[in-house]
Amino acid sequence: MNTLNKKICAITVGAIAFLCGACHSIESWENDTLGNFDALWTILDEHYCFFEEKDIDWEETGRRYRAKVNKGMDEKELFEVCAAMLDELKDGHTNLISWFNVSYYRKWWSDYPQNFDWRLIQEHYLNFDYTSGNGMSYKTLADGQVGYVYFSSFAYGISHSFVNEMLLSMKDCKGLILDIRDNGGGNLTSADDLLSHFINEKYLGGYISHKTGPGHSDFSEPYPYYVEPVYGVRWLKPVIVLTNRSTFSAANNFTAMAKGLEHVRIAGAHTGGGSGAPMSSEIPCGWSVRFSASPIYDADMKLTETGIAPSDGFAVEMDKEATLSGHDTILDFAIKTISNIQESKPEKIIRAAE
Amino acid sequence: MRLKFNVFLLSCLLFISAKAQTVERPVLSAYAIELGSAHVAETYLSPLHYSGTTLALSYERMQAMRFDPERWVMRLDGRLQGSLTHNNPTRNASMWNIDLRLGWGMMRRFRFDGGWNVFAGGSTTAEAGVFYLPKNSNNPAAAKASWTVNASAGAAFNTRIGRMPVCFRYLAEIPLAGIFFSPQYGELYYEIYLGNRKGLVHGAWPGNYFRFNNLLTADLRLGRTIVRLGYRCNIKSVQASDIVTRHIEHTAVIGIASEWLSLSADRKAPLEKAKIISALY
Repeated sequence: MNTLNKKICAITVGAIAFLCGACHSIESWENDTLGNFDALWTILDEHYCFFEEKDIDWEETGRRYRAKVNKGMDEKELFEVCAAMLDELKDGHTNLISWFNVSYYRKWWSDYPQNFDWRLIQEHYLNFDYTSGNGMSYKTLADGQVGYVYFSSFAYGISHSFVNEMLLSMKDCKGLILDIRDNGGGNLTSADDLLSHFINEKYLGGYISHKTGPGHSDFSEPYPYYVEPVYGVRWLKPVIVLTNRSTFSAANNFTAMAKGLEHVRIAGAHTGGGSGAPMSSEIPCGWSVRFSASPIYDADMKLTETGIAPSDGFAVEMDKEATLSGHDTILDFAIKTISNIQESKPEKIIRAAE
Repeated sequence: MRLKFNVFLLSCLLFISAKAQTVERPVLSAYAIELGSAHVAETYLSPLHYSGTTLALSYERMQAMRFDPERWVMRLDGRLQGSLTHNNPTRNASMWNIDLRLGWGMMRRFRFDGGWNVFAGGSTTAEAGVFYLPKNSNNPAAAKASWTVNASAGAAFNTRIGRMPVCFRYLAEIPLAGIFFSPQYGELYYEIYLGNRKGLVHGAWPGNYFRFNNLLTADLRLGRTIVRLGYRCNIKSVQASDIVTRHIEHTAVIGIASEWLSLSADRKAPLEKAKIISALY
């Protein structure tokens, strides 16, 4: 082989090696029971954000559940093992989604009293006569002294014009009850948008962080985020936010932000938590997995993943016997508290320029 | 002495005037549609590999440069590409991708006997796009944007098949440096929306931003129309913040090209006497 040919061969081999090595590696797994289990474990290992806060030994957890996986098991058996492993995270934002089932960790609410009955409120407080829209239902109670709003889900976008109209219709009330019991969350932006009606200046909502790498401690510096007051109706009169264990995720985040406001109190029961903004991924068999990926802290840099307690002196449980006579003792407490307010100045409602 | 100087000055003026009047640089414009396969991985959305179909519309414009038309050519290209891919091996999810690219570059032309032209030069490219995986509820999309400075090279061979002039061309491009956008490893777009812009822009070099674009075309001159047939292979692999994006596409290219001259109304020299320097042919 002459020198020129040798050079051409060397250049060709070098170019092929360069191109082969150029693509960055991506971890892959076999599409069998162990491969799918390993993929699921690895995705959580590298992306889940609360291992340290919850003191979870994920290595040990993985070993324990991997021992239950064998090549002969069918997909439903594999799903059961994987779902049980995810339950160890005690996280309402973590689900395994297959074509035949979706796993949920339910103990964050199922181990506690529900403390809410929407039918009871509609029947005995609203007389099935109320205004509704965008997930909100509202009416004035106690002879017009108390405004009541039930907001069922932050999955609804906040219509500022609707909220403006709603708050203006309650302008003569002494205070407002914002009931977000059984509100399982939705869009974090909706929580910010709703809060913007209850502040009059730029407000520190909390902090958000994210993973910067696959290590359990790889987190970014928490980033402070602020909520701007709405160009619309701002309600600065007293507000009581009603919560229960099913107040979760974006509703939990709203509660955390609202609790820091001077004119707001949180009443009812401890919220369900869910302060990890979730992400999704998937494993080779096509199942999706959703998990908490970005921790959100309150304005005091406290994590609210396990929930938020009511304001001091505002913890109330729903009396089951009272419900038989049509009473929601949490709502009664809030109505009484607002009705007893001696003074609530009209100027506490501000209509900022549109 | 004065006479010699006048003769020299006159010669220079004649040379410049002759050169300015006699060179025409036709523009080669090509519009093409491309169809082929796409192989995609975007670990921000999923660790699985997706494969499917890609469709693209592309435009290319080439012209000899004014300052040295014999040796330098410019190339402007634009491409709008979309793909629909499915996850492997179960194919129970779809990922959409759309990408817009604009590039401009200059290449030195080396002419050889037998109809061969070899090109080498540089280019700059701006690219923006998005991967969309509706299956993901909270992180369904991954945005892409980059600006790179590239090395480009190619070769063209002008020949005839029967009586039909044909130009075979190969063109390759590799980015050498630039910047590109990528969120951090587990960063949600919600956090970016809240205002955290730290660490979103990354410096690009072939180690973290590898792209190898290959285009092979055959331009068949059918009278005044040029039919372009070709094959494109684009390989892209990007890694930043432990997120890997891989996009490989193979497409068949079919298009129409033409060469045209822009003539000013007050031109004095007849076109028949002009020297026409094509960028490619």
